[in-house]
Amino acid sequence: MAALLEAQSVSKRFGGLQALSNVGFTVAEGEIVGIIGPNGAGKTTLFNVVTGVYPPDSGRVVFRGADVTGAAPHRICKLGAARTFQISKPFADLTVLQTVRIGALNRIRDMAGATVKALEMLELMGLAGKRDELGRTLTVIERKRLEMARALATQPSLLLLDEVAAGLRPNEIQEMIALVRSIAAGGVSVLIIEHVLEAVMRLSGRIVVLNYGEVIAEGRPEELVDDPRVIEAYLGEAYSLA
Amino acid sequence: MAVLVAAAALPLVAGQHLLTAMIVALHAAFMALAWNVAAGYAGQFSLGHSLFYGIGAYASTVLYLRLGLTPWAGMFAGAALAGVVGVLLALGVYRYNVYGIFFALVTLGAAEVAKGLADNWDFIKGPVGILLTMQYAPGDFFFLRREPYYFVALAMLVAMILISLALERSPLGQYFLAVREDEQAAEASGVNTYRYKTIAIGLSAALTAFAGSFYAQFYLYISPETVFVFEPQLTMMLGTMVGGAGTAFGPVIGAMLFSGLGEALRNLPFFENTRQVVIGSKMVYAVLLIVVLIYLPGGLITLGRRRA
Repeated sequence: MAALLEAQSVSKRFGGLQALSNVGFTVAEGEIVGIIGPNGAGKTTLFNVVTGVYPPDSGRVVFRGADVTGAAPHRICKLGAARTFQISKPFADLTVLQTVRIGALNRIRDMAGATVKALEMLELMGLAGKRDELGRTLTVIERKRLEMARALATQPSLLLLDEVAAGLRPNEIQEMIALVRSIAAGGVSVLIIEHVLEAVMRLSGRIVVLNYGEVIAEGRPEELVDDPRVIEAYLGEAYSLA
Repeated sequence: MAVLVAAAALPLVAGQHLLTAMIVALHAAFMALAWNVAAGYAGQFSLGHSLFYGIGAYASTVLYLRLGLTPWAGMFAGAALAGVVGVLLALGVYRYNVYGIFFALVTLGAAEVAKGLADNWDFIKGPVGILLTMQYAPGDFFFLRREPYYFVALAMLVAMILISLALERSPLGQYFLAVREDEQAAEASGVNTYRYKTIAIGLSAALTAFAGSFYAQFYLYISPETVFVFEPQLTMMLGTMVGGAGTAFGPVIGAMLFSGLGEALRNLPFFENTRQVVIGSKMVYAVLLIVVLIYLPGGLITLGRRRA
C-alpha cells in the first residue's frame, strides 16, 4: 500500500518543552490510524504540524508524495487533508449550511454545487434539520458533527479527527464510531486522536502511542493493550510493576 | 422596489433643502456599505478608510484640473489607485499578522500619515485645499441644481447594494465570512486567509474612493482637513454598526438614521452656533451607538428579523 501521509522524524520545541522528538509514522490509503497517549504527550501538536498550523523545527511531512513541511493550512486542505479541532471552532454567526458550504467551496467553485454538496454532508452527519441554525446555538455533539461535516465537505482523501468522542455520552460515542466507520468505508483514510480508548481501539486498524513527544509503541490495538510500555504511560510505573 | 420608486420620485416633491439632506444621506449609506465590505463581511475593522476616501476625492479632482480628465472617468482612476494602495497596505500589515485592535490602529495611523503627506504636498495645494468652480458641465460631473446629484447618489447607492448582495451570494463573500468568523477554521477549510483579507481591503478601498470623488464633485472643495480626517470614517462606522454590520441593508438604514438625526439636530432651537451643533450631535450619536450595541448587538436590522 502506498503511504498517503508520512511524517519523518518530526521534532517541535516550545521554549523549554520538547513537544515532539523524532516522531515518524505513516498512514496508508484506506487505513484508520489512531494516535493515543496521555495528556501532554504531543498529540495535538503533531496534528498541528501535519496540517500546517506551525512548521516543525526539523523533519519532514509528506502528503500524497508532495513535501508539505511548513505549508500553509489552506494548501494542505487543498491537497486533500482536512481536520477537525479538539476545541470546536464553529463559525458562530453563520448558519450550519453556510459553514459546511464554505468547506464544500474548497473543491466546488459555484455556490449551487457547493450547496448541494453541503446538504449531502449535513444529511450524512444528521444535521439536516439544523441547516438554518447559527453555529453558536449548537450543542457539543452537534458542533463536533458540524466540524466533521465541514471537513468532509472539502472532499479530503485524509480526515484528521482531533478528539471527536471526548465529552460525548456512551450512546453518542457509539454513534460517532459508526459514523467514522461509514466515512472510512466511503474511501477516506482517517487519522484519529482520541482520549476515549474504547473509540480508538474499536476504530483503528493501527495505533501509534505517544508519550512525552516520542513514539513509544505502535501496532494493532489488540497487541497494544498488553504492552507494558503503554500501560506504564497511561497508568504509571507502580501499576505495571504490581 | 416600492422604496426605489419612491426614491426616484422624491425630487418631484422635495425642496432643495430636503434634497440636499437626502443626497448627504445617500452618500453616507454608500460609504457605510463600502466600509462594510471589509469590516462587516470580512471582519477587518479598518479605522483608516478616510485614506481611501481622500484618495478618491483628490484623484478625480487633480486628474480633472491637471489633465482635463472628466471626473466620471477620474473616479474610476481614483478607485483603482485606492484599491492598489489598499492591497499594498494589506499585504504589508497581514504579512506580520497584525489583527484586531492592532489592525485598527495601524490603519488609523495610515490615514493620519496620508493627511500629513497631503498637507505638505504643494502639487495638490497642501493644507489650502482645492476649490472647484461651480458650473454646468454634465460631461464633467458638474451640475447647478440638486436633482442630478441626487440621482447620481441614488444610482451609486443602488449599485453598491447590488454589489453587496452579489457578494453575499458568491464564493468570495463566503471566504470573507469565514475569515471574519475564525481564521484558523477558515484555513482548515481551504480558505487562503491572507489572500482574502487582502482582497477585502482592496475591494472596500476602491469602493470607498468612489464616495470620495462624489464628495469632491458635490461640495466643490476638498482639503486634507475635510477628507483625510476621521469624519468620513465616523460616518461609515456609525451607520454600519448601528444599522447592522455584515448585511446589505443594515448600513443603509443606520447611515440614513444618522444623517436624518444630524439634520434634525441642526434645526433644534437649543444650539446657538455650529460648534454646539457639532458637539451636541456627537454626544447624541455616541449615546445612540452605545444603546444599540448593548441592546441590539447585530444592529437595527435584527429588529425586523426577530419579528419574522
